[in-house]
Amino acid sequence: MNLRILRQTLYWQRSRLIAVGIAAVIWGALVPFFYSTFQDLFEGLIQAGFPENFLNFGSGSLFTLGGTMTLAVQHPLAIGLLGIFAVGAAAGAVAGEREEGTLEIILARPVSRRRFYGSVGFAILAAIGIVLALLFTGQVISIYALNLVEEVRLELLPLAWINGMLLWGAFLAFSLAASVSFDRRGPAMGLALAYVGINYFLEILGTFLPDLEWTQEYSLFHHFVPGEIVTGNADPFDFALLTVAVLLPLLWALIVFPRRDLGAPA
Amino acid sequence: MEAAPVPAIAADKLTKHYGGGHRPHRPGHGTGTIRALNEVSLAVEPGEIFGFLGPNGAGKTTMIRTLLGLQHATSGGATVLGLDIVDHSLEIRRRVGYLPGGISFYGSLSGHASLEYYSDLQQREPVRREELAQRLQLSEADLKRRVRDYSRGMRQKLGVIQALQHDPELSILDEPTEGLDPLMQQAFYEILEDLREAGRTVFMSSHYLSEVERVCNRVAIIRAGHLMALQHVDELLARRKRRVTLRWRGTAPDLSDVPGLADVVVSRDRITATLSGDVAPFVRAVASPSLEDLLIEPARLEEVFFEYYAGEDAESPGSDA
Repeated sequence: MNLRILRQTLYWQRSRLIAVGIAAVIWGALVPFFYSTFQDLFEGLIQAGFPENFLNFGSGSLFTLGGTMTLAVQHPLAIGLLGIFAVGAAAGAVAGEREEGTLEIILARPVSRRRFYGSVGFAILAAIGIVLALLFTGQVISIYALNLVEEVRLELLPLAWINGMLLWGAFLAFSLAASVSFDRRGPAMGLALAYVGINYFLEILGTFLPDLEWTQEYSLFHHFVPGEIVTGNADPFDFALLTVAVLLPLLWALIVFPRRDLGAPA
Repeated sequence: MEAAPVPAIAADKLTKHYGGGHRPHRPGHGTGTIRALNEVSLAVEPGEIFGFLGPNGAGKTTMIRTLLGLQHATSGGATVLGLDIVDHSLEIRRRVGYLPGGISFYGSLSGHASLEYYSDLQQREPVRREELAQRLQLSEADLKRRVRDYSRGMRQKLGVIQALQHDPELSILDEPTEGLDPLMQQAFYEILEDLREAGRTVFMSSHYLSEVERVCNRVAIIRAGHLMALQHVDELLARRKRRVTLRWRGTAPDLSDVPGLADVVVSRDRITATLSGDVAPFVRAVASPSLEDLLIEPARLEEVFFEYYAGEDAESPGSDA
């Protein structure tokens, strides 16, 4: 880890981090509010014959507070907020610097490629951690304000945060692996977006097509379920699977990046 | 007996072949279709300014990037400051200053912040920063501006400063005067002279032959990844023919016995010829009250360079194809 690179990377992300952080708190606070305010309306809709699955989203649901908390992190808005760092910043972290020709001045100094990778990766992971924490903070504020504390075990929220860090850490690791493998931002970004997109597609497919609900098992998103964790139903398999999903691309990057030839930028 | 000084750079049959595509390269494995460097062996002595000449695509940048660990040699090896480029790459980079060709900076950082960032990563004090900025006329106000607002020449100046600010033992400069105006080129040459006097080593690539001729002690000429020549600039030029022109009043002198004189063309009162070797016999032969004017043009590195590159089209540079 090179603290100077880590600090500089975070410094470059500061404006984005502030904007995304504010949005995360607001979004986190809104979702329990929807649950509390419109619960009767949702139940009325179901009784009127509206398909229940349309009020669920991925592994989330609007009928329980825990399900609502899961829905909040699986909603496209949350994916977008966290994806700004896990995909946008990460995919460009190395490939973008290669494309712009700024990487070589850093690597011509006593900084190993692995150390550069680790520093940039840790900085982006820290940004993801902050956003995720702010999203949960918004939820906690709202849960206290709406007096819903009895419905969930908030002391388990740090475990949910770790679960979320593993999911987004997996996407970050994949994006960085793509980033160290290409000399241009475009292919790295495309691959990273495709990876997140496919996982998301598999997760929400079952929402609209109940016959295809089995596809959710193959989505990484399905293994980040804060609603189950805060109701005391955490599944260690989710943590194990996501840890593997973090480690595989991490290993790829640590092996491939130092061995690549970094030719002069075009 | 005093031990021979360790060469600043010593390449031993350094070879770099590219396999093409984006596959990760496995050091020491396989050969590719693009032969960027072919068994290049050379030694750069401490304290000299060494010029590395060749046109675009000859292998200059590949050589530099391989020495710095940005690319991996296919075979052969090299040491920089006595350290192996594979085993001690980090230590080498701590002691070297590098100016890449067509340097890029982070546009959002100011010039000063950029220099601070690179200095921190170098882990050495930027002892020469102020002096270099002054000599290259990059003012405090300029350094406070964002790099995205810099002109091409200002970026190049910033590049020179970031490479030399920590007073490296060895500076590796890829096309260092690219984008500098003549005044700044002059300032840069003076900086190089100071480095030489301070015993620092400079390894610079260039395709400005006059520049290399002017500042370098020795020069290597590379063509299609092959080292074509490695000599002192003076020796290289001494072997070349000078162009002589003299104007004469009256009957043309008999120059048939002058050693080294060739290509003699006589037209009215003017004689042009080429002269190789010692000039003294020629001067003695023409010394006469009838001599109106005499011009002896020094040999230029351009001529040497073009000689090595004559017939280049016959061989596709650096390619098996």
